[in-house]
Amino acid sequence: MSVFKRHTGGFVLIAMCGCIFLLLAVIGLAFDLGRIYIARNEAQVFTDAASMAAAVQLDGTATGLARAKAAVQKLPAKWNLGTQSFEGVVTEFSADGKRWEATPDNASEVKFARVRAPENHLNVIFLSAVGGPLNFTVPAHAVSATNPVRLAE
Amino acid sequence: MRRRRIQGHAMLELALSAGVMVTCMAGTFQFGYTFYVYNQLVTAVGNGARYAAQRTYRGATEQDVERRNRAIRNMVVYGDAQPTAEMSPVTAGLKPEQVEVRWVFNGDGKPSAVDVTVRRYTVDAIFRTFTLDGRPSVEFPHVGRYAPAEAER
Repeated sequence: MSVFKRHTGGFVLIAMCGCIFLLLAVIGLAFDLGRIYIARNEAQVFTDAASMAAAVQLDGTATGLARAKAAVQKLPAKWNLGTQSFEGVVTEFSADGKRWEATPDNASEVKFARVRAPENHLNVIFLSAVGGPLNFTVPAHAVSATNPVRLAE
Repeated sequence: MRRRRIQGHAMLELALSAGVMVTCMAGTFQFGYTFYVYNQLVTAVGNGARYAAQRTYRGATEQDVERRNRAIRNMVVYGDAQPTAEMSPVTAGLKPEQVEVRWVFNGDGKPSAVDVTVRRYTVDAIFRTFTLDGRPSVEFPHVGRYAPAEAER
């Protein structure tokens, strides 16, 4: 009987300690994946707005291209639960929607504006504690066409 | 006597571990639900702002301006500019009054952009409430027709 007692005493606590690792992973999934999904959504809404803001400025001149880039930089958008500004945003232009250039030679042929937000590195808090990555990149891009200005992709 | 002591140990261990478990579960639910609501709001604000950006800007009278802004708020809250009585908001408790629609004008008085923001919305995550004021927020360029003399239909 005394042997039985020695073996069962404290079992729940030991099992609980074993489970805490699993529990942390589940909490991490809920918390970090939630933030990743929000960041992805925020980045997508931003690139949608930014590509339209760029497309509005296109008028077939080099000045229009410069204005388009400035309009994207000026857009007051934030991500990571509305706390961080977007960095490393890339604005590109295309005549056919296939070949993209930051500064196209012939501005008069430009019909599409693409905005990419490739550098949204989100710090992973819980998942990194159980062996997950330290940060997660949430890229987004959108394409808008001119005449009339509309989201194309 | 010995058996009762063992049972007492198990009860104490269960109470301790259940406390930790319930706290973790409550926290997971609280953040998970808040993130879910925030994500819904980001999508709703993006959709509403895109609708506003492509809508014809009419403003013959003050009532037309109010009607236009109400349609945008309804789009954010219900996903429909003219919701029916049966429609429910995209997130629990969100009201059109909690959506701010701000127009940005050019020097010549034409609208250049529209800013849609959520104001004073409280997320009730049962164990705790979070108030969102000023986020999520998004600005889209106005690409719709400009017809200030026309009346809203």
